[in-house]
Amino acid sequence: MAEYSCLIVEDSPMMRQLLVFALARVKNLRVTEADDGVDGLRKLASARYDIIVTDINMPIMDGLKLVKRVRTDPVHKDTPIVIITTEGSQEDRQRALQLGANAYITKPIQAPQVIATVKELLKIE
Amino acid sequence: MTKDKQSGGAESGALGTNLKTERDEFLKKFSRGTQLTEDFVKEHERMQSRLQDLETENAGLRAKVEADQAVRELLKKIDRLEQEKSDLVSQNRHAEAITTEFTARVQEVESEFANLANLFVATNQLHSSLSPRGVTRRIKEVLAQLVGAERYAMYLVNPEGEQLIPIASEGVPGDQLLPVRIAGTRIGDVLRKGSASVADTDPSRGTLQDPPAVIPLSIDDRVVGTIAIFSTLAQKNKFDQVDFELFKLLGQHAAQALVAASLFAQAEQKLPGLEAFLDLSV
Repeated sequence: MAEYSCLIVEDSPMMRQLLVFALARVKNLRVTEADDGVDGLRKLASARYDIIVTDINMPIMDGLKLVKRVRTDPVHKDTPIVIITTEGSQEDRQRALQLGANAYITKPIQAPQVIATVKELLKIE
Repeated sequence: MTKDKQSGGAESGALGTNLKTERDEFLKKFSRGTQLTEDFVKEHERMQSRLQDLETENAGLRAKVEADQAVRELLKKIDRLEQEKSDLVSQNRHAEAITTEFTARVQEVESEFANLANLFVATNQLHSSLSPRGVTRRIKEVLAQLVGAERYAMYLVNPEGEQLIPIASEGVPGDQLLPVRIAGTRIGDVLRKGSASVADTDPSRGTLQDPPAVIPLSIDDRVVGTIAIFSTLAQKNKFDQVDFELFKLLGQHAAQALVAASLFAQAEQKLPGLEAFLDLSV
């Protein structure tokens, strides 16, 4: 059975923990955590990931910059990206989708929604 | 001789007449026999033809009977297949019902798991810091990220027990963040009664004057403060079961975590000596 890898980029430890718990329900999905965009890029440079889940609002490098950088990375330019936003940041969401993000989830996040979005993008039953 | 001749001639004439008569009769009889034979032959031919017709008819009837038998067998087979189809449809419906029930159960378990994960993460976060600032930040994070609160404030009761003093907030303008009297206010009522007050209305439309949720903060049986949620994010238009569980969890753990962190800070982050644990009588 195929094994998938997911990179979670999120500055809030609580949200990271929540996402890790949620994605642990997806079979054969290995999850790696990154604290912010810079840490995310570092991890993307050292390994190949099948999907990226990133928050928009983060210090040092936000989710928008990360999406932009990932789309110019030859290894990950086609990797699906899920962004996590708040309802109020509709502009950010539109911008992220324009930059190449594939889906978005609004806060407060619901584990079943996270699982369904990731499964859909990875085409897992 | 002449006489003889004459008598012989007469006799001969009579004999000729007789022979003629006999011949005629024979011919008549022969002709009749011929006619009869012809009639017999014709009748025989007719009977042959009729027999052939009857045999053909018989063969047709036999074929029809055989065809009817085949139809009867086919009808029986159709009945049997219809029954089998009905049984299969029934089994399929039963299987579908089981699948639907199973799917619903799986979704329920997944949802329950997600709720438990939320509660675990919230508890874990509340107790993962021993600085008052860190605990406050985590309480705010639980409210914002897990409950979906947009505007909220946390209050602690003053030493006189008359007012609730705001110690942390989000989304509330500074000039509107004022101490709240315990007597005669909804936030104060929650402190006095020690039970949460959650409105049935859309919490995203809440106001500072009418918060959709007020939660008491307790240490053991003492209520020492409250959290008031003034409004939630736009997409959060109702509180779910897990939110009520989070309210309970915050009510029981937030103040304890905050007080523990404050005492630890006051003790200059020194751990209590071993003797503090030796006489626990447990």
